[in-house]
Amino acid sequence: MIDVKNLVKTFEDGKTILKGISYHVEKGDKIVIVGPSGSGKSTFLRCLNLLNQPTSGEIWFDGKMINDPKTDINKIREHMGMVFQNFNLFNNLTVMDNITLAPVKLGIMKPDEAKEKALSLLARVNLTEKADVYPISLSGGQKQRIAIVRSLAMNPKMMLFDEPTSALDPEMVGEVLDVMKELAEDGMTMVVVTHEMGFAREVASKVLFMDDGLIVEENNPQDFFNNPQNPRLKDFLSKVL
Amino acid sequence: MGDWFTKLSSMINMAFIEGDRWQLYIKGLGVTLEIAFFAAILGVIIGTALALMKLTKRPNGKEGFLSRIAQIYIDVIRGTPSVLQLLIMWFIVMSNTKNGVLVASLTFGINSGAYVAEIVRAGILAVDHGQEEAGRSLGLSKAQTMRYIVLPQAAKNVLPPIGNEFITLLKETAIVGYVSLTDLTRCANQIVSRTYEAFMPLIGAAVIYFVVIKIMTHLLGILERRLRRSDRR
Repeated sequence: MIDVKNLVKTFEDGKTILKGISYHVEKGDKIVIVGPSGSGKSTFLRCLNLLNQPTSGEIWFDGKMINDPKTDINKIREHMGMVFQNFNLFNNLTVMDNITLAPVKLGIMKPDEAKEKALSLLARVNLTEKADVYPISLSGGQKQRIAIVRSLAMNPKMMLFDEPTSALDPEMVGEVLDVMKELAEDGMTMVVVTHEMGFAREVASKVLFMDDGLIVEENNPQDFFNNPQNPRLKDFLSKVL
Repeated sequence: MGDWFTKLSSMINMAFIEGDRWQLYIKGLGVTLEIAFFAAILGVIIGTALALMKLTKRPNGKEGFLSRIAQIYIDVIRGTPSVLQLLIMWFIVMSNTKNGVLVASLTFGINSGAYVAEIVRAGILAVDHGQEEAGRSLGLSKAQTMRYIVLPQAAKNVLPPIGNEFITLLKETAIVGYVSLTDLTRCANQIVSRTYEAFMPLIGAAVIYFVVIKIMTHLLGILERRLRRSDRR
């Protein structure tokens, strides 16, 4: 589904954050990326939908090279949901409008259709009664669940999660992870950057360890956590587990 | 005491009532409001366009062509006195036009646009970048994200300084007497030279400006509260 070839990202300040990453994501994969801060995991994720423009290398999605200037990135993004650390719900719109804005304005659904879809998705995350409020009145956990719903309303082929629980109070982490687990069980293709090792162990089909701009270890969750090979991963796990 | 009262009522009589002079103030105020109204609309349109131009970047992150054009506009307008701009428009650029209100409206609109540009730009920059990223990540174009997400939030940010700009604009129209338009200020001045009595016409005009601006402030306050609906828990 996604093919990354020799991805390099150098920022304007001259720092090279990604130093040549190649990776392949299959349909249905649940990839969890862990690693120390500054290792490039968020940058890697943000390159996948071109929120960060790669410096060199290729990213292919469904047979199209998305970092080719000729590719209409907006069309690609319709199929790739993204959930942010800071939720980024649209502050000027009600929850309902947050969810229906993109499908309606992009001509994918009629307003009624979008609304119906939004209500059924809100019911799935138990937030039906919040449809008409503004984001400011929601808790962090509610905001993030609605951000996930907003992405799902586009019927994406895959979802990217950029540290979705890092800005949450501890007691709200569970409600967001539960929604993500359900999504995973439904077969959604997911790439998740997180510090939640429990989630990685339970949900991931593959866990990647990134350090210093490279993927230095990749394994299934059992072997990744119980039998790490790379010394830096061993060191990392000893600190976080 | 009686003396003082007689003098006052004769002053009021001379300044406002004799020869139905109060009608002149109303006419003058009409001219003032007309110019300020059209200039404000034009200023917001030009200012928003300039702000969007100034925020454009080339793919390499450097300042683009449109951004430079906008900056030149802003520099020229802010770098010259508005009286001079008015005179240049009246005697040079639009010297064939007899419609002074049109010339003044255009001049003040063009002038105000330069100041509004910086206000709107600041308002847009104050919107959290994550809002734009979220819009783009859903597949919305840059223009759609700007229109439905960023600009509505920026509007809320800019309302207080824009109100300031409108107030300044309204008062600045007092210079249109330079191109022989009879606005509120000039009308008061004319009455002074006709009656040889300065106090009542000038203070009267000042009170009228004050009341109009007070009403404007009140209306802006209502608008701001309505736009802030989404900020209330």
